[in-house]
Amino acid sequence: MFNPEILIVGAGLAGVAAATELARAGHPVLIVDRAARAGGAIHRQPLPGQAGVATAAARWNRLIAEAEALPIRWAFETRFNGVDHQGTALLTGAENRMLRPKALILTTGAREAVRPRPGWTLPGVTTAGAAQIQLKTMGAAPQGRVVLAGSGPLLIALGAQMTRLKNPPVAIVEAGRPFAHPLTSLRLPLGYLREAAGYMATLLAARVPILTGTRLAAIRAEGETLVSTLTDGNTSREIVADMVCLHDGIRRNDIGLTDCPALSVLRLGDCAEALGARAALEAGRAGGRAMAQALATGTTPTAPNSPLLDRERAAQARLARIYAHDDFAALHSLPSDTVICRCEGRTLDDLRALGPAPRTRELRLLGRFGMGPCQGRFCGEWVARAISDTPQAPVPAHPLGEPRWPAAPIAVADLHAAAPDTGAAPPHPHGVHE
Amino acid sequence: MSGGTIFWGSRAVPFLTGESVASALGRAGVRSFGLGPTGTARAVFCGIGQCQNCLVSIEGRSAEACLTICRDGLHVLPEAEGLSDV
Ligand code: FES
Repeated sequence: MFNPEILIVGAGLAGVAAATELARAGHPVLIVDRAARAGGAIHRQPLPGQAGVATAAARWNRLIAEAEALPIRWAFETRFNGVDHQGTALLTGAENRMLRPKALILTTGAREAVRPRPGWTLPGVTTAGAAQIQLKTMGAAPQGRVVLAGSGPLLIALGAQMTRLKNPPVAIVEAGRPFAHPLTSLRLPLGYLREAAGYMATLLAARVPILTGTRLAAIRAEGETLVSTLTDGNTSREIVADMVCLHDGIRRNDIGLTDCPALSVLRLGDCAEALGARAALEAGRAGGRAMAQALATGTTPTAPNSPLLDRERAAQARLARIYAHDDFAALHSLPSDTVICRCEGRTLDDLRALGPAPRTRELRLLGRFGMGPCQGRFCGEWVARAISDTPQAPVPAHPLGEPRWPAAPIAVADLHAAAPDTGAAPPHPHGVHE
Repeated sequence: MSGGTIFWGSRAVPFLTGESVASALGRAGVRSFGLGPTGTARAVFCGIGQCQNCLVSIEGRSAEACLTICRDGLHVLPEAEGLSDV
């Protein structure tokens, strides 16, 4: 009898861990990823022949060796475009087809939050995560003078990795004051402290300036260089660089991923709750087992929980306190022509033109916020904060409305090419191996 | 080290096996990927396929430069120019 696959979206820690558990329980598993290789963001693998710079490589090597010994089917350079109300999933790219999976596991990881600032759409301004992915794949630091700015532990980690690869950042600009909370810091798990101490030792030895309590307020282009304005509330100064990497925190990446009544859907790892690598591995394994159990008993799988996940939750909450800042209040004093929606170039002025308390419908249809191809991934949070009286307060997960199908824009040609699933070989087997 | 060449307009740009179009262009000093159909500036931002700010025309089709893996001889153009070509 035809035994449909369990579809796993995302070949990072959580996805591969879930795949191994399900394959071990005897389920056919198809794991898809848009990248060319497994690894996700944390364990992004270097190009063939480049030196790896990854931390905790042993953790990944163990997991991938285990997975590769099991009958899991991998489809790389393949995009999951969503699932319709009947449970039909659409894949495009190297594996281009529709299929009816037995269950769906979403392990799409995290995304970065970047607070809008004048100049944040200039070429040469990227997220810190983009620079880190580049560093991991090439085994080399980004070239030229690089400023890292925003807030969060990623800035320190990336700065140290760049330093070890012989191009230290010209400055790390941190809105919070993480060094002002030694007692809270000491209550972090030992692994966190050890990692942070290693990064700090590297940065201090290389004399990389770490400016805390400082915001990167604006960026302007002067020829090929980028001039950033920094302010600590009292004084402001300028810093010149070739590249500016921004990062204002990590959010779970579940935008555009709808639930489906016809299908068991489980979200695992950072896309369920951004708790980092240790938690993603644990949740992937536990979630894979929970799904196998649910399929065996005809029940609905429940999201995993464990003491380790509780510990990581507490650690993340502590980190948030250590890095607390009031930078988001700056949204209210941004110049009115600051771009909020990067996709369609919609500005703060366009947002204010919608009146004092616009509804979601007005934001989308009149303001066109969240209507561009990124589906509000990069503007949703800032629209919600900018129209709120308390821009620092938490905002809902989908401030511009519930996610829609498809998960990302699809080319019409891909839709035509994706024939309904017949169990036959996919039309473009390139990049797929068993 | 194996690799090949892609074309940014008429300019030949070398790449390493497995490298993304965005990475090859970036290492060749191309950081501005021209304009999209509505005049927005294209360049790498998120690096992982979420922002759609790096869309370019690859062999006549719009695609994310940060996700597309280089193949020898690939023709890449700013999105606005590539689409008017088809
Ligand atoms: S840089 Fe964001 S999608 Fe490519």
